[in-house]
Amino acid sequence: MLEARSAQAQTAPSIRSRIIELFVNGERYEVVVKPRNSLVEVLREKIGLTGVKHGCEQGACGVCTVLLDDRPVLGCLTLAVECDGKRVRTVEGLAQGDRLSPIQQAFLDQGAVQCGYCTAGMLMSATALLERNPKPSVAEIKKALEGNICRCTGYNAIVAAVQQASGQGVEPVMR
Amino acid sequence: MILYDFEYERARSLPEAAAMLARLGPNAKIMGGGTDLLPNMRLALARPTTIIGLSGIRPEAPRLTLDGRLRIDGLTTLAALAHSELVATHLPMLAESAQVVGSHQVREMGTLAGNLCQETRCLQLNQKHDYQFKSPCYKRGGACCYPFPRNRPGTCWSVHMSDIAPALIALNADIETVSGTGGRRLAVEDMFTGDGMHPIGLEPGELIRAIVTPLPPANFGWGYHKSSRRGGFEYGMAVIAIALSLDVSRQVCAAARIVFGAIRERPVRASATEQALVGQRIDDTLVARAVAVAVEEVNPLPHHGFTRSYLIDNIRVYLRRALVRAVERARTQSAAT
Repeated sequence: MLEARSAQAQTAPSIRSRIIELFVNGERYEVVVKPRNSLVEVLREKIGLTGVKHGCEQGACGVCTVLLDDRPVLGCLTLAVECDGKRVRTVEGLAQGDRLSPIQQAFLDQGAVQCGYCTAGMLMSATALLERNPKPSVAEIKKALEGNICRCTGYNAIVAAVQQASGQGVEPVMR
Repeated sequence: MILYDFEYERARSLPEAAAMLARLGPNAKIMGGGTDLLPNMRLALARPTTIIGLSGIRPEAPRLTLDGRLRIDGLTTLAALAHSELVATHLPMLAESAQVVGSHQVREMGTLAGNLCQETRCLQLNQKHDYQFKSPCYKRGGACCYPFPRNRPGTCWSVHMSDIAPALIALNADIETVSGTGGRRLAVEDMFTGDGMHPIGLEPGELIRAIVTPLPPANFGWGYHKSSRRGGFEYGMAVIAIALSLDVSRQVCAAARIVFGAIRERPVRASATEQALVGQRIDDTLVARAVAVAVEEVNPLPHHGFTRSYLIDNIRVYLRRALVRAVERARTQSAAT
């Protein structure tokens, strides 16, 4: 094992890291990254925001969804080096101090959180939807959230949470 | 599935990217949104030593050219394409085909050129091969094929899954390319090789700059259907794109282009089906006859767990519905358009 590693160190070219600037949840960070570091790795391991999750790493599940300059993107398929100077919002940036955002509160009120692993990505996709379309129909909600997979809830509570957060007459069920 | 170390360079323009590709050789790959390249790199299907990022290049907005065509920059994201008012007005089938790709996140990242140039797919190919696979398949440079073990060496029946390519071919679109030696214009239909091993027929170092589409003629109607298991966030079982136009009386088919996607190594024209329609009076009998011709003519590869007969049944049902819809649209299109 050690032999193989030292052989590789001699023949492989060393890839130089570079410094990028990220504005995450309103705060400025300078991070040292290699080209191969995805946005998920950088947010979790270098900045410490573990709300962003590792899932399939292939773009098939959506748990790594973050907002990049207000657009929902998959962190696993975004190279950090391409985000120099950009604004990133993660789930940690949704609440104002102790006050949860309407969509976060609605997820609790509707029982839309079970294991919780899809939740961060769902919240970011839902936030992006409501910023673009404040009163989405059920079909529009499902279309906007189609890129976020949930194994637990069966999705109905999640859709209801988006309806509640957008003030469309759905009442809390979990109070 | 951690990525290996690679170099990254950022291109400021397409000609610069073409020059970088020429300088760096076959071990460099360009990257638009990364939604096709990066998953393949995680699976060790693609192993470039350098990635040339195109995300710093701002695409032109879709626009009408002086000679009355719609010109769309290759780096246009699928979300921008799906929401473009110009595209929705003139080529709604193109907007529809962009809207069914992947998910909102994938559409915000992925580019139009990238969707056309995506690698072909196969259930066994697109998995990590250092676990249960004993040998690499032909496409991975090895000596076997897992889903079709009796195929001749070098034959790869992986499928081109693009949802947008069939629509562009039905609309008779061209691509405009950029390369170190200039660039060329060719039909979208001619950029696919039909060979699962090397599905895209662009030269090394040749990039797509733009997609250029003629505007539809009078009495034009379209039909589009992407069938899938769960109705979202997946590749298609079969994609059907129909562009047809009627004569002045709106009773006779003047022209038809019917394209199937996600059933073979490249999108395929249903030529015999088209010929069964052109010059004929359109009624239920003709539609039924055309579908019967299509079912005979189409030769889908079983893929991703779907059997050949299931895909043919799929096409039998959805081709009829899409044809009916296309004729409806052609008949109700206002004369002023």
